[in-house]
Amino acid sequence: MSYLLHLATFFGIYAILGVSLNLLIGYTGLVWIAHAATFAVGAYAGALFATKLALNFFLAMLLAMLVAGILGSLTGWIFSRLGGDYYMLASVSWNYIVVSVLINWESLTNGPLGISGIPKPSLGELSFAEPTKFFLLTLVLLGIVYAAARFITNSSFGRVIKAIREDEQAAKVFGYNTLMYKVAISGMGAAMAGIAGVLLASYIGFVDPSSFDVMESIFILAIVVVGGFANIRGSLVGALALVLLPELLRFAGFPAEIAAHVRLGLYGLALILFMLYRPQGIIGEYKF
Amino acid sequence: MERMFFAQLVANSVIAGALYTLITLGFNLIYGATKFTNMAHGAVAAMGAYGVFFATREGWGLPLSIVAGVLVAGIVGVITDRLVFSPLRKKKARASVFVIASLGIFALLQSILSITFGAQFWPLLPPGTGRVFDIAGASVTEVQLWILGSAVAASGILFILLKFTIFGKVIRALSDDEEVAKMLGINTDRMIGVIFFLGSMLAGLAGILSGFDTGVQPTMGLFLLLEGAVSSIVGGIGSLVGGILGAFLLGFVENFGIWFIASQWKGAIAFGLLTIFLIFRPRGIMGKD
Repeated sequence: MSYLLHLATFFGIYAILGVSLNLLIGYTGLVWIAHAATFAVGAYAGALFATKLALNFFLAMLLAMLVAGILGSLTGWIFSRLGGDYYMLASVSWNYIVVSVLINWESLTNGPLGISGIPKPSLGELSFAEPTKFFLLTLVLLGIVYAAARFITNSSFGRVIKAIREDEQAAKVFGYNTLMYKVAISGMGAAMAGIAGVLLASYIGFVDPSSFDVMESIFILAIVVVGGFANIRGSLVGALALVLLPELLRFAGFPAEIAAHVRLGLYGLALILFMLYRPQGIIGEYKF
Repeated sequence: MERMFFAQLVANSVIAGALYTLITLGFNLIYGATKFTNMAHGAVAAMGAYGVFFATREGWGLPLSIVAGVLVAGIVGVITDRLVFSPLRKKKARASVFVIASLGIFALLQSILSITFGAQFWPLLPPGTGRVFDIAGASVTEVQLWILGSAVAASGILFILLKFTIFGKVIRALSDDEEVAKMLGINTDRMIGVIFFLGSMLAGLAGILSGFDTGVQPTMGLFLLLEGAVSSIVGGIGSLVGGILGAFLLGFVENFGIWFIASQWKGAIAFGLLTIFLIFRPRGIMGKD
């Protein structure tokens, strides 16, 4: 039971990541392969606010969202004027830079050793240290992120973003400042990923740079691909499928050490097969 | 002391530039024909390096192992084209679909290497193999001279192939306009397969030489890919001459950068250079508007 709860909590965290990345990729058409870096910024910011400044979890989360959001808007502002391939390569580089900063800025991040002793969330008398309560908190936050994403994509703002994806020139002709729209959606997606980061940091109680490499970004991308671009509900399905998939390996009896590599291979295979046979994902609407 | 340090940095820059040249030549060749960023290119390079690792472990001689490693990379490259990219071309998929599929191939190949050979680092040559030369105060290993020589030879052969042979003309026609090339009766699909073979062999050679220089690890592909991609963008993506310029510029910026900043920031310096180019001159040194 506790194991199921653990999986469910992970599902919640990765579903938040999937939904937030889908906002970026599905609605702008730009392939962002640095969501692990945004995730890391949220996790580290949350961890630092909670340990060094001893702030309450929820306050640390809001501040971490702010940090991730500002950084996300900034990278969005710099990179989104670039065309598809360049944007993607720039994002991979960005992921690399962020991990490199986390490893080397030892006075702040404690280098490769990471930050430990991150407290569990609490609100006055109410503590979320117990796994069931932590899971419920994750679920509530997922619900909020999901509702926010649905609200954004169904609003007039969301329609403009989709119009930019389909034909940026046309949107410009209609007088929309397309760059500002891309910056805004980048910032929102990043702030949501920041929530996932703070949740992970608090749940594990520990963050280190190795959890946020490019492979992790590819994993989060796979969630969006499998679920379907531009379909927020699809990302929930994608997160469920990809968090549960490795568990089948456990039952198949792979040793833990090899299972991690097999898992990476399966995610790779999923990306290839979906692109070949179902580029719109399981329940996607947008043929990428 | 200062002068020797300077000479050493120049030597290191040139050697790094030569290695990046090898990887970026193949990358640009494939980009020219297919117009998408092949993220699997670095993993193909790693396959070449592990080909040599496997062959030498089986007791093959070094020259034969290198040939085997280069061929392994070439064949893996062709397989990725036949099984994934060629079907996607027939479906007229968008560029982002190609890129995401190539990321999948990258992850799959890396996991195959980790499962087969383990995730740890291996030296590809016993430590201390080969002589160390003193060139104008800089010490350069034999392997590093091989890297430089191979890069010069590969660029030369590629240049002659593209400029003076019918085959080269076909490749250039294909890179200019695939549709027109098709109309002229060129079997573009098969030609792209050949280009994948050539480009992937170049990647394999880069992977092998980098393995000789610093050892092999399944994750080595990402680093090679990024250095190659940065060189291509800085030089002007798809331009072979630009790629070479970009590769050497990157080599010099990285190595002279660590004169001012601690060496663990080397990777970040490369991507700083990339970002600067992306913002101020996204078409690169040699790129056209």
